[in-house]
Amino acid sequence: MTWSKKRGEVLKDEIEAHIDFEIQENIEAGMLPEEARLAAMRKFGNVLLARERSREIWGWLWAERLWQDIRYALRGFGRNPGFVTVALLSLMLGIGASVALFSVVYGVLIAPYPYSKPNEIWAPAVLAPNYPPHAWHRYTRREFEEIQKLPAFSDVMATDVHQVLMTGDTSTESFYGVFLTSGAFNFIGVKPLLGRTIQPYDIPAGGKPNAVVVLTYGLWRSMFDGDPHVLGKTTILDGVPHTVIGVMPPRFGWWTSEAFWLPMPMDLSDDTPINVVMRLAPGTTKEVAEQQLNELNLHLAEANPTNFPKGQMRTILNNYMDITQASGPMKSSLDLLLAAVGLLLLIACVNVANLQLARMTARSREIAMRMAIGAGRGRLVRQLLTESVLLSLLGGALGVFFSFAVVRAIVALIPPDNVPNEARITINGYVLLFSLAVSMLTGIFFGLLPALRSSHPDLADALKDGGTGAGGSIRGQATRSGLVVFEIALSVILLTGASLAIRRFIGQLRTDPGFQPEKTLALRVTLQPERYPTVEQRNDFDRDLIENISNLPGVQAAAIGNGGMPYSGWESSYALEGQPRVDGRKVVISLVSSNYLRSLGIPLKRGRNFTPAEVENGMHLALINESAARLWPVGTDPAGKRMQVDALGQPLKPPVLVAPGIGPEVTIIGVVGDTKNDGLRNVTLPAVYVPYTLVAPPERQLAVRTFGDPLGVLNAVRQKIHAMDKGLALGRPMTIDEMLGQEVEQQRFNMALFSGFAALGLALAALGIYCVISYNVTQRVHEIGVRMALGASRADILKWVLRAAAKVAAVGLFIGFCGSIALEKLVRFNVFGTAKFDGVSFAAVMILLSVVALLAAWLPARRAGKLDPVAALRNEA
Amino acid sequence: MSTRKPDNQSGLLQGTLDLLILQTVVLGPVHGHAIARSIENRSREVLQVGHGSLYPALQRLIKDGLIVAEDGTSENNRKARFYRLTKKGHRKLFAETSRWHRFSEAIGWVLTPLTEESK
Repeated sequence: MTWSKKRGEVLKDEIEAHIDFEIQENIEAGMLPEEARLAAMRKFGNVLLARERSREIWGWLWAERLWQDIRYALRGFGRNPGFVTVALLSLMLGIGASVALFSVVYGVLIAPYPYSKPNEIWAPAVLAPNYPPHAWHRYTRREFEEIQKLPAFSDVMATDVHQVLMTGDTSTESFYGVFLTSGAFNFIGVKPLLGRTIQPYDIPAGGKPNAVVVLTYGLWRSMFDGDPHVLGKTTILDGVPHTVIGVMPPRFGWWTSEAFWLPMPMDLSDDTPINVVMRLAPGTTKEVAEQQLNELNLHLAEANPTNFPKGQMRTILNNYMDITQASGPMKSSLDLLLAAVGLLLLIACVNVANLQLARMTARSREIAMRMAIGAGRGRLVRQLLTESVLLSLLGGALGVFFSFAVVRAIVALIPPDNVPNEARITINGYVLLFSLAVSMLTGIFFGLLPALRSSHPDLADALKDGGTGAGGSIRGQATRSGLVVFEIALSVILLTGASLAIRRFIGQLRTDPGFQPEKTLALRVTLQPERYPTVEQRNDFDRDLIENISNLPGVQAAAIGNGGMPYSGWESSYALEGQPRVDGRKVVISLVSSNYLRSLGIPLKRGRNFTPAEVENGMHLALINESAARLWPVGTDPAGKRMQVDALGQPLKPPVLVAPGIGPEVTIIGVVGDTKNDGLRNVTLPAVYVPYTLVAPPERQLAVRTFGDPLGVLNAVRQKIHAMDKGLALGRPMTIDEMLGQEVEQQRFNMALFSGFAALGLALAALGIYCVISYNVTQRVHEIGVRMALGASRADILKWVLRAAAKVAAVGLFIGFCGSIALEKLVRFNVFGTAKFDGVSFAAVMILLSVVALLAAWLPARRAGKLDPVAALRNEA
Repeated sequence: MSTRKPDNQSGLLQGTLDLLILQTVVLGPVHGHAIARSIENRSREVLQVGHGSLYPALQRLIKDGLIVAEDGTSENNRKARFYRLTKKGHRKLFAETSRWHRFSEAIGWVLTPLTEESK
């Protein structure tokens, strides 16, 4: 800069010298000194222009001009603090929200998994008419090995989860251990933090797997204190010492983030289903793979018909990313939120565009003046553009700071179950770039339009001292009104979405779960299989447990209820007496004690409940729920009929034991009310309740209904159980309300976020409407003066302004209404799953926005009414 | 009064001015005022160059490397900046002059028949 200044000085001197020469010559030619100077100046022409054009050639002019423009813009901002505040606020809120949400989306959806090529992992699903849709079809071990042989897949692995008891020195705790087939860790492609992962040689074919375990980062920190020498240590799992061979990094959580991974025993006679995922061989398309798998499935169906639908079936491969937790309810929420934020940003942009337009037209006299004295159009547009870009950069910077705050808030609110274990939500570099791009684009977009319009060459009228003044042009008015309409329409859509989400949430809260969840505690008690090797011992324990707990003060009833409490239990195929078998259909089995109904508050609809004796003796009796009762033809009373529950007839592997003489046939003695056993939002599955004495797994679910606060009784329950047997492992106790609450948390999250965004949208829209109407009034001050002079009263003026505003608002509301109906149809099933049209939401939003619009118009209208007519006429108001 | 600018006619003039300057400078270092004067004199006052437009042209020629500037003293002991041609400038001058001659000759051929007919 100083160099260029120096050059400028040199040039100045040179030109001065030039003129001096000319003057000298003129004097020698006989002119008087004054004359000589004038002649010389005339001959030279415009000195300033010469200097500027020379500077142009040097090439640094652009930087100087930019600096000039920036200083000019900042001065302009200083003179108009109101405009700047509103504009910056709009940008900050809009950009901040979009950056924050982008971070969340990025952290949860786009890059949640640290696996190698996570979007190339596929999970099989089987579709058939009359076959209940499962997003993920499960296979047996034998079937899994068949799948591995298919040429379409380069790599196949399977996962299974079940309870594992970890016996420490002081306590026993039960975990959900994750079992993996050989090569699984290589499939996933994540390196361990310490040690090694489970390798193929850990699982010899057909033999027992090595007793090794890989820890999660969380477990390593909590249970092993982050000991760097943990490798080689042993820990006792299900009674067997296992060696710790590795620890995974913090951001890795395949199916668990607080437990551990074990090699899966590959006993081919084991029919328990496992979850299979695969990668495609290079060059193989998804369709070819589906074809091959389908053929295999048909083949497998012959060998194992209960695992497959009968007859025609179609196999598809779902992307693993689409079916895992983060992509379930969370994905739909996030998609919607992304759209909402887009809308918010749009509203913010429209706001600022409006402000800019208003300001530009107010300055068009200034602009025309500048053009008249020689400013080039390009130069002017560049200056106006610089102003807009500067404004948006400032807004962007503020937005980035704001986004940090918003991300913190969102992360605090996200229910932990809805986000994959591995997601880390932070603001990262990509996001910052995105936000800056957004702010630049908004700057350019809404700066260019008014700049081009205002610098249009034929602004002759702008210089005229007309009453309509700058900005009264009909086109400008229409554009501004159009923008307000657009803004109102967007707000309608945003608010309608929010309203739908809120009402849906409330509806869910009121969903009747089918039982009485309040004041009930749920506790998982796990017996050590070796200490209770027989069915009698286990059943005796259970009986004692129920009796002891029931007798505790404050306890209303206690019962055992494996499965179905409240969520689905153990699946089984079935056959009804006198009905043909339907393949592929399942019922869920719950093992219950005699006062299960009372403990959970489930109503008995027909027939009768178990007697304690019946349960004690392990009689083959069953209660079914209404959904199961409907499996029979209409009009048949299932009580007294028999049912074949296949799972009860199949041999079960230890440590699960069965009562001697157990068979699949049960006689139904009663029908109970439906409970939501597959989640609050899903249809109830048909369920069968049999005495728990028939099957004795190591773990049992205890339900304790209390008179007062269930947590108050918790300690007593714990002590009692401890007194019964010190070595028992207890799972985390929860009230059933809490368990249900987890599902509701998702909706609560939606609601909170949506409300937040909607409130922002409303605020921005209100601000925008206020600014535009206020500006309109200012522009028509002269007209108002005339009206007043012609006899209009204050009230008349008020009505006139309000009416104009109302017209604009009405159009906006109408368009917004149409827009949200269209959007709602699109989104309805996807996100909310409601089948009904929510008219109340729409009505509420329309009314709310109408009120807001009119209020926003009220203040300027009142001001208009108060104008002094004389001053108004002189356009000096 | 419209704020439209008149079309920039100096397109042709710009290139020509550059050429004239180069021709003037070929004879040895000369300062700005002398260049302007020289052009006027040699064209017998036909070409009146706004002295102001000289300087941007000079800057452009410096930027293109056709001339260089150096400080010196003028004939009446005043400090002035003197310009002289570079090798590149020489080459350019030669090329452009030839082109200009060919160009004006061609125009001449096109225009001549008309003047004969109008006799």
